[in-house]
Amino acid sequence: MKRWWRGTFGLVAAVALGFALATLVIGAVVFETTHEALELQLDHRIAIETQALIDEGQDGHEGVAAAIRRREAARSTASLGYRLVDSQNRPVAGSLDTTVPPKPGYVELLPYKVDGEERIAQSLTTVLPGGYRLLVGADRAAIDEMDNRFIVLFLGAFGAMLLLGVGAAWLVGIVTRRRLARIDHTAAAIIAGDLSRRVPLTGSGDEFDGVATTLNRMLDRIVGLMENLRQVSSDVAHDLRTPLTRLQNRLDEALRERNPELQREAIEAAAGEAGELLEVFSALLRIAEVEGMAARAHFQPVNLSLVVADVAEAFRPSMENSGHQLVTSIEPNLTLPGDRRLLQQMLTNLLDNASQHTPKGTTVRIAIDGTHNGIRLAVTDDGPGVSESEAPKLFNRFARVDRSRSTPGHGLGLAMVAAIVAAHSGKATIAARPGFSVSIEL
Amino acid sequence: MRILIVEDDTDTNQFIARGLAELGHQVVTSGDGRDGLFHATDGGFDAMVVDRMLPGLDGLALVKALRAAGNMTPVLMLTAVSGIADRVEGLEAGADDYLVKPFAFTELAARLHALGRRPSAAAEPARLTAGDIVLDLHRRTVTRAGRKIALQPREFTLLAELMRNPGRIMTRTMLLERVWDFDFDPKTNIVETHLSRLRSKLNAGFDSDPIETVRGAGYLVRDGG
Repeated sequence: MKRWWRGTFGLVAAVALGFALATLVIGAVVFETTHEALELQLDHRIAIETQALIDEGQDGHEGVAAAIRRREAARSTASLGYRLVDSQNRPVAGSLDTTVPPKPGYVELLPYKVDGEERIAQSLTTVLPGGYRLLVGADRAAIDEMDNRFIVLFLGAFGAMLLLGVGAAWLVGIVTRRRLARIDHTAAAIIAGDLSRRVPLTGSGDEFDGVATTLNRMLDRIVGLMENLRQVSSDVAHDLRTPLTRLQNRLDEALRERNPELQREAIEAAAGEAGELLEVFSALLRIAEVEGMAARAHFQPVNLSLVVADVAEAFRPSMENSGHQLVTSIEPNLTLPGDRRLLQQMLTNLLDNASQHTPKGTTVRIAIDGTHNGIRLAVTDDGPGVSESEAPKLFNRFARVDRSRSTPGHGLGLAMVAAIVAAHSGKATIAARPGFSVSIEL
Repeated sequence: MRILIVEDDTDTNQFIARGLAELGHQVVTSGDGRDGLFHATDGGFDAMVVDRMLPGLDGLALVKALRAAGNMTPVLMLTAVSGIADRVEGLEAGADDYLVKPFAFTELAARLHALGRRPSAAAEPARLTAGDIVLDLHRRTVTRAGRKIALQPREFTLLAELMRNPGRIMTRTMLLERVWDFDFDPKTNIVETHLSRLRSKLNAGFDSDPIETVRGAGYLVRDGG
């Protein structure tokens, strides 16, 4: 198991271990400090007592011995013990059963006996005039007991934290694994081919639900795109069969034709068909590119009012020639972030449609005005319009109304319009009758 | 013209090379980006056709390297994708024109011809003349045989574009790009109607037409000045 600390269990366990170790370090520091303080306090007490004995004895060993006896008789100093010895180590006074060290000064661990039982004392030896040595000792039991309690307490805390940490890690691990398993199951099902599966939500709105919701949205988008792709490829296959068949027929004709002039005509016709097919592919590619939103990267502020005016003026002569009337209503300086050429193409496609699929005498209106949350653009004509059932399908590729089967075109113009509007995060709708109208909100 | 073609697809390469040779151009071909750059820096070309996607060194990098080395040979870049953003990238890299595959050979030839010896914007004269027509770019006026002719703004730009390239064919898509800034081809015959209006205004009272229609290719104004 490489990098175990990357998992949930390892992560939580490592944090718990860290906390436990911190407790241990703090414990050690507190222990050491307290221990030192207690020892100092004891030393201090012994020193005061020694000084008191010497003062009472007025520098003579007899006086000191008398003072020791008085204290032991009064039992007023139960925690302190005394021993006065002469230069030959013979006890003079005091009941503390120990060997008085030959040198003066503190001894931290001095063994002594009480009723034959060995105990440890902290002691101070002082040399008196005449080679007498006075030893005042205090039992270390209190300090030792304190030390023991400390150690037990902190080891206990350390153990508890370790246990708690491992427990928490185990629990968090179980919960995480259970939640991740749902995502895992869904992903496995999708890999196995069931694209309709989605990650179940607990409804708690927690971070797992958050991830699950995002994943589900991603899956919806992917399924949508795949559906689109499937639709497009079947449409392409279906709708290109006719022109490809025509192309083949023309080439067959050319092969059979003996008259060079007629043969050349047939080849020219075939080349024309091929050119048209290539045009369809280019249009399809362009729609696909716009739908892929690669365009967004280079969006810049575009004055849509100017674009509308320009495109309208470009079309005006042709539309007048074909007996159409073009009416514009333009609110100036409406700006949006976008791709100017794509927006030009959107308008061009709409005007192409209006002038090609409506009879002479039709009035085409372009209106653009600002709304409270964007721009509304409408291209409307008072021509025959389309039926209610046909209208919504017209944004699909190769969609054509029955009436226009005979006019040139491939049914890709409005699909391109829809793709451009979508790339600009807008909404396009078709109104069926009366007339034909495309409204775009950007 | 001496033309270098850098294109890795052998069919396309030969198709362009044969066509250009038939038009009397001297053609050098290369199928690889690095090799192409080597030929290009060798110099002596009047124009280059460079495919965007190339093995070794892609078209954009090739043009960038060429421009960085101070070589300003006009470049026509070819691309297989519809390239909405590609076009901008290509022109920014230093290409002078851009053509999307598939293309008609006449389109390529016309664009190449327009690229060769293209005057820079700074060197452009304020007045263009073709025969008895004088076009003043600053005052935006047109006269024919001294008679003032009133044109709509787009008609003026259209005539100016044709007169800027005397003797060179301007295709429909070139005019759409340069006059209307459209990088797509509308089904409505915008160029034709504008041209016919321009012609009727230019030719009213005259019996010759300065704008020639080249069937299947485009339009041109003869260098009759």
